Amino acid sequence: MQKTGVRTITKRDGREVLYDETKIAKAILKALVATGKEDVPLAAQIANEVGAALSAKNSGQSYLIEDVQDEVEKALMRAGYEDAAKSYILYRAQRTNVREANTSLMKAFDEITNADARQSDLKRDNANVDGNTAMGSMLQIGSAAAKAYNSAYLVTKQHAQAHTEGAIHIHDFDFYSLTTTCCQIDLDQLFSGGFSTGHGFLREPQDIQSYAALACIAIQSNQNDQHGGQSVPNFDYALGKGVAKTYRRLFTENLLKALELLAPDKEWSKDQAKLLVALAEEKAGTGPKLALDETYLASLREVLLPMVSAEAADQILAFLPNTTEKETDRRTYQAMEAVIHNLNSMHSRAGAQTPFSSINYGTDTSPEGRMVMKNVMLATEAGLGHSETPIFPIQIFKLKAGVNYNPEDPNYDLFELACRCSAKRLFPNFTNLDAPYNLQYYKPGRPETEIATMGCRTRVMANVYDPTRQTAFGRGNLSFTSINLPRLGIEAKGDETKFYQDLDNVLELVSAQLLDRFEIQAKKSVRNFPFLMGQGVWMDSETLGPDDEIREVLKHGTLSIGFIGLAETLKALYGHHHGESDEMQQKGLAIVSHMNDFCAKKSKEKGMNFTLLATPAEGLSGRFVKIDRKKYGSLPGITDRDYYTNSFHVPVYHPISAYDKIQKEAPYHALTPAGHITYVELDGDTADNLEAFMAIVRCMHDAGVGYGSINHPVDRDPVCGYVGIIDEVCPRCGRRAGEPIAPDKLDELRRQYPQITEFCGCH
Amino acid sequence: MMENNTNIQAGKGIGFERIRRITGYLVGTMDKWNDGKKAEEHDRVKHDIHNA
Repeated sequence: MQKTGVRTITKRDGREVLYDETKIAKAILKALVATGKEDVPLAAQIANEVGAALSAKNSGQSYLIEDVQDEVEKALMRAGYEDAAKSYILYRAQRTNVREANTSLMKAFDEITNADARQSDLKRDNANVDGNTAMGSMLQIGSAAAKAYNSAYLVTKQHAQAHTEGAIHIHDFDFYSLTTTCCQIDLDQLFSGGFSTGHGFLREPQDIQSYAALACIAIQSNQNDQHGGQSVPNFDYALGKGVAKTYRRLFTENLLKALELLAPDKEWSKDQAKLLVALAEEKAGTGPKLALDETYLASLREVLLPMVSAEAADQILAFLPNTTEKETDRRTYQAMEAVIHNLNSMHSRAGAQTPFSSINYGTDTSPEGRMVMKNVMLATEAGLGHSETPIFPIQIFKLKAGVNYNPEDPNYDLFELACRCSAKRLFPNFTNLDAPYNLQYYKPGRPETEIATMGCRTRVMANVYDPTRQTAFGRGNLSFTSINLPRLGIEAKGDETKFYQDLDNVLELVSAQLLDRFEIQAKKSVRNFPFLMGQGVWMDSETLGPDDEIREVLKHGTLSIGFIGLAETLKALYGHHHGESDEMQQKGLAIVSHMNDFCAKKSKEKGMNFTLLATPAEGLSGRFVKIDRKKYGSLPGITDRDYYTNSFHVPVYHPISAYDKIQKEAPYHALTPAGHITYVELDGDTADNLEAFMAIVRCMHDAGVGYGSINHPVDRDPVCGYVGIIDEVCPRCGRRAGEPIAPDKLDELRRQYPQITEFCGCH
Repeated sequence: MMENNTNIQAGKGIGFERIRRITGYLVGTMDKWNDGKKAEEHDRVKHDIHNA
């Protein structure tokens, strides 16, 4: 090693270390190897030149590490190894990224560990994770670490920059390299023959109560394989089969009881009862079931007559159907109550989250499916303990003319019940199978052709990858990224042409990023998703072996481009939003159509399902505007609030009638096939008016809203259990928030509500 | 003793629970909402139903 005048190097953290030329030679060798030139003497020689250059510049000084690295770059270039120099520069940049990520990562860990979630936006990023608990914090630490790793190593610089600067938002960025968003779980297919959760095998359920328990377990299992909300598209059809099994079992049990009571001269056994039920079934060609067939009862009478008196047989027949139906109904209610309770209390994802669950129903007209729906809504209406409103599952009632929409339809009574339930508990929401863009796929009696939603609004139906499989079951979203539309509006400074050019650039950028992410997802194997793929929940995954790549089957899923703040965009571009004028409505529709057309074009080009999403924007509504206000200042109607308006919504602060809001938002539903929702805000009194409530749902349906719900205040006093609207003072117990109930009032309440064991509200 | 205590203090320090829909999900307590969503909820106006 040749002696140089340089003695020490000052590292970035300020530490001084001895200058060591072999270390520099090693770094140079790495750069040479990366370009296919493994030449040790050459590396040593260049390192030597670096030392000489440094000492020529200034002898006897300590050098900053950056200066040393600059000299290495120069020496490589001088020696004619430009590729090696480039590779060295890249390596440096990457190390810088990692170092920066590490620093901000440690800061994030510090906030997660020490800050109170109530004061930290970072910790409230997801309203469904309790950032104050141990497991919630562990989940957040993992999420922060994954985000840092993904942006330093996985995402292209351009995409990472667009995300960081708030031009786009890559959703669920922490799961970038790990999994996909969501899936419609076909419980019917899953249950038949039993299934494995990845932690144990479960037999095919034989009773509505085990159907209900397994439905929750399926949702929970899938929640651990994917990062989004999990959904059952056919809750009525699938669980109806459990009701049928329960009815049959209870029918047999009741027959045995009746025989023991009315024909006590003989010994009766369970097997005998089963045999009699089966013999009658053979004779009648139909078995015991809800809405029992007269021919079955006649056959059963014939089977019984040789063994019991005619009088006893008649008594048995009078007793069996009614009692069995009542008992089945009761068991179904209990099962549905368990579903609601379980989905609000069971934990998944390291114990930090209740599963984000959705259940869709409404169109099964069988007595069993109807019993499921009636009871799940009754259980929802009743609420959890202390009359708490269930947060999960999201319930979606599918509206269909001819099935449940008109008074003469077989399930109209359930539509009425759905309105009553939603007016009290905010669920169910309503999807619209009659909207033209949904109706085109609908085939009567084929529940997989009925549009269903999952999570906050996601939907799948069209399938460019396989046009013969345009169904909802076993499919879902792979990933989605949203565009900061208002920023494009601000940047355009009123120039519409520039706006559309910029929009096209961002659309290209996002679609490229979605494909990059797909590449990572596609390389995973079935083994990585023991439930979703291992149990054949995802379309066609049953055709794969454990080590097979999931690339092809994933193509049934959607890559979604989302947007936020159409209202602010229109304000920025034209001075008004679509809630304010019909002219702006046309401008708004033009923008959203443009994005939808882009998705259609991209889908055709790539043979994959690119779809436009009206982004829900939970964390995003605040994030984009915060960055934009820093960048552009507080612009009236654009950046002057703490949120950008949800997707294509008319701004929440804009006074507009329910009817006009629905008419304004409905046309956007046809243009956002990845998911959409329209809300109407009612005050409590209107929500209590069932006729008015139903009129709004009908108005949404007729206007072509694909998915809608009605918001109204649901307050609860945990101390006295009152549910309704509480302004300042609780109407039941007369206390204000934080105040105790007055002692004489408490005595009065105890007399009035003997079922309430304690007026405390403390958990 | 506890009984007496709750008699006098039942409800002290306990607020009301306000369930709201946020981006499609219901949330039981606004404590867990982020700042942007809190502001959005605050600004919401009711829609009258005369034409509906």
